[in-house]
Amino acid sequence: MKVIEIKHIVKIYTEAELEVIAVNGVSLDFDEGEFTAIVGPSGSGKTTLLNMIGGLDNPSSGEILIGGMSITSLKGSELTNFRMRNIGFVFQSYNLIPVLTAKENTEFVMNLQGKSKRECETRSLELLKAVGLEERVNARPAKLSGGQQQRVAVARALAAKPKFVLADEPTANLDSKATETLLEIREKLNRKENITFIFSTHDNRVVKKARRVITLEDGKILSDIKKNGSD
Amino acid sequence: MIASIAWKNVWRNKPRSLIVICSITLGTVAGVFVAGLMNGWVDQRIKDVIYTQMSHIKLRNPNYLINEESQYTISDYQQITSFIDTASEVKNWCSRLTIMAMATTSRGSCGLILKGIDPENEKRVSNIQELILPGGGNYFGEQTKLPPVLIGDKAAELLRIKSFRIDDRVLDSLRKLQLPETTINKLKQIADIRFVTDRKFKKALNSCLTSAEIRKYGPYIIDLAKYYHPKAKITFSFTNAKGELSYQTFQVCGIFKTSNSTFDQSSAFVQSSVLSMAAGFGENAFHEIAILLKNGDSDLIPFSEKLSNTFNNANVMTWKKMAPDAGLMADFMNFYYFMIMGIIFFALAFGIINTMMMAILERIKELGMLMAIGMSKRKVFSMIMLETVFLTLIGSILGMLLGAALIGITGRVGLNFASIAEGFEAIGYSAVVYPSISSSFFIGVTVMVIVIGILSSIIPARKALKQNPVESLRIE
Ligand SMILES: Nc1ncnc2c1ncn2[C@@H]1O[C@H](COP(=O)(O)OP(=O)(O)OP(=O)(O)O)[C@@H](O)[C@H]1O
Ligand SMILES: [Mg+2]
Repeated sequence: MKVIEIKHIVKIYTEAELEVIAVNGVSLDFDEGEFTAIVGPSGSGKTTLLNMIGGLDNPSSGEILIGGMSITSLKGSELTNFRMRNIGFVFQSYNLIPVLTAKENTEFVMNLQGKSKRECETRSLELLKAVGLEERVNARPAKLSGGQQQRVAVARALAAKPKFVLADEPTANLDSKATETLLEIREKLNRKENITFIFSTHDNRVVKKARRVITLEDGKILSDIKKNGSD
Repeated sequence: MIASIAWKNVWRNKPRSLIVICSITLGTVAGVFVAGLMNGWVDQRIKDVIYTQMSHIKLRNPNYLINEESQYTISDYQQITSFIDTASEVKNWCSRLTIMAMATTSRGSCGLILKGIDPENEKRVSNIQELILPGGGNYFGEQTKLPPVLIGDKAAELLRIKSFRIDDRVLDSLRKLQLPETTINKLKQIADIRFVTDRKFKKALNSCLTSAEIRKYGPYIIDLAKYYHPKAKITFSFTNAKGELSYQTFQVCGIFKTSNSTFDQSSAFVQSSVLSMAAGFGENAFHEIAILLKNGDSDLIPFSEKLSNTFNNANVMTWKKMAPDAGLMADFMNFYYFMIMGIIFFALAFGIINTMMMAILERIKELGMLMAIGMSKRKVFSMIMLETVFLTLIGSILGMLLGAALIGITGRVGLNFASIAEGFEAIGYSAVVYPSISSSFFIGVTVMVIVIGILSSIIPARKALKQNPVESLRIE
């Protein structure tokens, strides 16, 4: 089943009368449960592409369908609402609310969705356990390591049961040990929840683990390789 | 959840938040206390106006108001009194003769209004009997050879029946109060000299004591040295009912002191039966009827209108008309207090806005992330608004508690403005102020604080909402 369908999207930024084509005619499909790594040199358009898939930015032309529904026509608050219900995000940094504990951070999106207190609690504890933080549920982000913070962010992204999770260079600030752990956790969750993951990355360890690797260059797809049995 | 995050956000930068909270607290304390002081003042003045001087409503002959001649007594006296006797709004009433008179003693004289009253009825309407000075006799209690008169402290001074003298008795009492012997020795310089005015006595004290001694012991010395001549005789001359000059001599039975020295100078109370006889008035001739209402706030205007509609030949006046300054204050008091608070909070709002702006700017990335993961603009706005309101409320609630405590303490002890008191007493304000404030004031201030908090949050919140999540996450 196709979760995401991208139809010939183009993103053009105009800066100082100069047009920058950040994404130049990309068409892609993503299946349920797929783990994709998007790679490419700096400035090749990875972040721009992810932002458009995540409904954070609108393409200059082309269309994006999520679960069969076009998000390119959604406006302002509809889009925010759509993101809250359907997409999990993991950013490179600044993922967590500093005044909330790991558990409260995990529950945040569920709370926005209006889930009951009990449901939030069960789900967040289950996920924090899955990411190996059952002992740090009441710690605030400042008391967690960078890798632990990213694991909380993954737990939060998954907690609200999104259609897919987008992560823009989630391991950029992590050392190799923390990266390994995060990838293992991702794998485990992927098996358990069958959620589609799209990572953008420069990291070879991530690329090795991915089942599909899309290489971008100058906003275009250079290659799109599906590996079999690498998972 | 939004509220709990907002609350936690308030404490993210503790020093910064505490500084704003402190400034709000101090501003609120200052505003609340000033309002309490004003309120205490005005309240005392209003009580004084109603219970000592004016009562709620007075009925008089309209001509008397134009020309205060004693011939203008109230017409339809009996109809009026039987009407107010049965009116449910009325608590008590009394009638008085008021005759302009010249008071003379062997040593001094002054002009005043001689008020003929029934001592028993008068007690139910005015509190004059509670204001008799210690050592100043009593309220028509003792039998005197001549008919008794009650005069004010200021009139007693003008008539020279009050004097100051330091004698052995005074020195003894001062010793008992543990005044240092050096001070007492200094006072011996002016012992046994009679001073007939406040001013002269204070001047004498100034010449023999240091200013520190006067500040510390002055009030006790003045109090003990003060001396009223008991049963002094005063002759009053006035125009009688026939328009001829008459005389009547009274003996002082008591001396009162209100917080209004003008009233103390210009009023003397005698029994109406005596005055009526001396001035040749008939049985039911009175110049004014003073009415005290059960509910002085809500019945004042309706009942006075009812009276003036029923009795065309009488002039009906409420205390607000008779003492317009106090009436105006009573009506605008609340407005004044909220204006004071409003000005203070308006000034504080700039500090609040500035603090919130800083708080927003340093959280741009976090706010971008929140919006990216699906927090709606409405929720972001409410979070920032609540943060501002919490910040403002903490400060102002602390301020209100401290202000209320301050008012509670000073309201019990009283604040003495004696050093500038003569000026205040001359215009009808007591020298000792008991600050007070109603609880509805605090409710009003709380509402005001919330509104100010909401208004101050608009600029910072708009700043936060203008951020595009993609942009704010991009900035490194
Ligand atoms: N808001 C913007 N305004 C103007 N140009 C932009 C904007 N955002 C991105 N670009 C340009 O679009 C191109 C693609 O940028 P993008 O951030 O998507 O690259 P990237 O592949 O994520 O790079 P990196 O690996 O460094 O994160 C770049 O040339 C960038 O300068
Ligand atoms: Mg990027």
